[in-house]
Amino acid sequence: MGAPRSQGAPRSLGERLASAARALRMVLGAPDYERYLSHARERHPEVPPLSRDEFVAARLRARYERPGSRCC
Amino acid sequence: MVKLARAALWVLIAAAGAVAFAGLALSRGERVSAAWLLTAALCSYLVAYRFYSRFIARRVFALDASRPTPAVRLSDGRDFVPTHRWIVFGHHFAAIAGPGPLVGPTLAAQFGYLPGALWIVVGVVLGGAVQDMVILAASVRRDGKSLGQMAREEIGPVAGFTALVAVLGIMIVLISVLALVVVNTLRASPWGTVTIGLTIPIAMLMGVYLRWVRPHRVLEASLIGLALLVGALYAGRWVSESPSLAPLFTLRGTTLAWLLMAYGFAASVVPVWLLLAPRDYLSAFVKIGVVAALAIGILLVLPPLEMPAVTRFVDGTGPVFAGKVFPFAFITIACGAISGFHALIASGTTPKLLERETDARLVGYGGMLVESMVAVMALVAACVLTPGVYFAINAPVAALGPTVESAAEAIRAWGFTVTPAELSALAREVGEPSLLSRTGGAPSLAVGMAHIFSRALGGGGAMALWYHFAIMFEALFILTTLDAGTRVGRFMLQDIGRHLWAPLGRVSWYPAVVLSSALFVALWGVFLYQGVTDPLGGINSLWPLFGIANQLLAAVALCVGTTIIVKMGKARYAWVTVLPLAWLAVVTMSGAAIKIFSSDPKLGFLASARLFDAAARSGVLPPGLADAGAAAQMAFNARLDAAVATFFMVSVVVIIADSAREWVQVIAGRKPARTTEVPFDGRHTAAAGAGD
Repeated sequence: MGAPRSQGAPRSLGERLASAARALRMVLGAPDYERYLSHARERHPEVPPLSRDEFVAARLRARYERPGSRCC
Repeated sequence: MVKLARAALWVLIAAAGAVAFAGLALSRGERVSAAWLLTAALCSYLVAYRFYSRFIARRVFALDASRPTPAVRLSDGRDFVPTHRWIVFGHHFAAIAGPGPLVGPTLAAQFGYLPGALWIVVGVVLGGAVQDMVILAASVRRDGKSLGQMAREEIGPVAGFTALVAVLGIMIVLISVLALVVVNTLRASPWGTVTIGLTIPIAMLMGVYLRWVRPHRVLEASLIGLALLVGALYAGRWVSESPSLAPLFTLRGTTLAWLLMAYGFAASVVPVWLLLAPRDYLSAFVKIGVVAALAIGILLVLPPLEMPAVTRFVDGTGPVFAGKVFPFAFITIACGAISGFHALIASGTTPKLLERETDARLVGYGGMLVESMVAVMALVAACVLTPGVYFAINAPVAALGPTVESAAEAIRAWGFTVTPAELSALAREVGEPSLLSRTGGAPSLAVGMAHIFSRALGGGGAMALWYHFAIMFEALFILTTLDAGTRVGRFMLQDIGRHLWAPLGRVSWYPAVVLSSALFVALWGVFLYQGVTDPLGGINSLWPLFGIANQLLAAVALCVGTTIIVKMGKARYAWVTVLPLAWLAVVTMSGAAIKIFSSDPKLGFLASARLFDAAARSGVLPPGLADAGAAAQMAFNARLDAAVATFFMVSVVVIIADSAREWVQVIAGRKPARTTEVPFDGRHTAAAGAGD
């Protein structure tokens, strides 16, 4: 994640690690602020996006309100 | 040429599976290796995935990769996010995998390994995986609608209401029985109690870390949490070996029950970032890690199955739970073969993530196959124990008596051999005062897993650590269902309360939050307390209720699926869902009827209530009951269970009757075959994603 980006190879070890970490976070269902931000900038440039803290808090609240996130 | 080679490969896989099944079924008297069971399951899954799931994808639903999914059309960066199918697969699997497929097969091992193995494999291929995939595909075609919404819109308001109430009822029974498993695991076990207790402050520490120390570094916080979990394992051992501390954490079942209720209440009212979210991250890591480790361990060791293929207890006299192999093997195994609960997930988060419709096959059908493989591994872990040890752990006090001598005697009478010295030695080896009558499946699974892990990695002295590691893993699993479930239950109650008095629905109004949380905890707490104080161990009455409830929800899901298939004009393929539905209807109805009306008091709730009534009147109390008041309470509990089972039976009848009416009308042409599918008008394409 903190690894420097190398210039030569198209995918350096650092980039591979970063994308693996990202995939892992998605599997865990952790809020994905970067994704939201790029979506908000692309589709709704006129509206100021939520801050990271606001976004994460809202996502976590929503996750535990419905059956469907947890099973037996 | 390539085509021929491929065909030959599939013939080979199918043949290997058939041979493995034959080997399992025909072995009599000699021990078989777990390799046979794994081969039989794996080959069946491969063939089913390759052929049956493709049939459902192509013929029944005509899934189309070019038809834009809700994730693409409604992409909002929040709920609707197009995601790579393997990531959705991982996310979906982490969400559906719970303690059910671990506990159910362990309990069902009292019939021998064969009935359980057959139902896990056949049930998933024709039932469970079909249900998950059909509901996922249906929800993807309907903007990610929930099961309840689909039941209301496709079948009608009666079915929709039944589905809603059924979900609430299932949550209550599910949480209470899982809490009971935890209580039975931790009672009089200072090591387990300390380790599990520490997971709560660890999660809160992670929550604080994620909020203030290094905000949003989820993986970092999870790694710290995992390291602390290992520390908790050793802390538990240290406490259990301390003569002054150990008694403080040697708790009675009733104390643990109250503690769990307090925990459930707290989890429901405190902010999610503090407890629920970090616990979930931790649990997901441990879940995936342990499932992988168990698979590797079993493959490395390939242990022989000590349990016979079929035991004498198929006749219904088994000590772990009462009832014959039909219908109780099918009700007990629950989640490993078919789980109605999955329909909530397949119509919850998952459909909003699918990038392409065709991914429903991998995620829905494939995800459930992996869940089923977990159930097979749990069955293996239960069957590597010798039957004597298995029954010593899983049979209640009423059957075994209080000492290792009485237990060994009782087990000898059932035709299995185990000596008192062996039982004491095993308890010492895993670092517990006693393993007798630790009903609920989790402890015997932990012994089985410890056995496999210590054989795979060497070091017999590590048995105790592996045992408590496995206990921690199971309890973590269960507690994440308990806490998140209690919070969801609170929201459901608030949603209902809203209709009575609007402020009750306000999710951030403290009095409403506290009231609804307390009410929901009380609803499951009643069943938990009844189970903990039951001299027959509680699992005997509550686990079948859970199994029936879960299959009722599966019946709802299959009714919705059938209705959708019929309305798509594909009535000729309706057998895909009608077949498992019919089987579930037979199993749940006969199971519930037997649980209510059987004249055997071990089996029938009403007979049991009459027995306790008589005991309360005469004063001649069965062992394990203190006074006439306790007997009267047991009689009340049994009648309550009978009422719950009746409610589930009525729900099954209502939902099937209401759906069948709809099917007949559509097929007879009295009603247009129109669904609420979002039409594919060609304006959207998957690539453009012109939504918003």
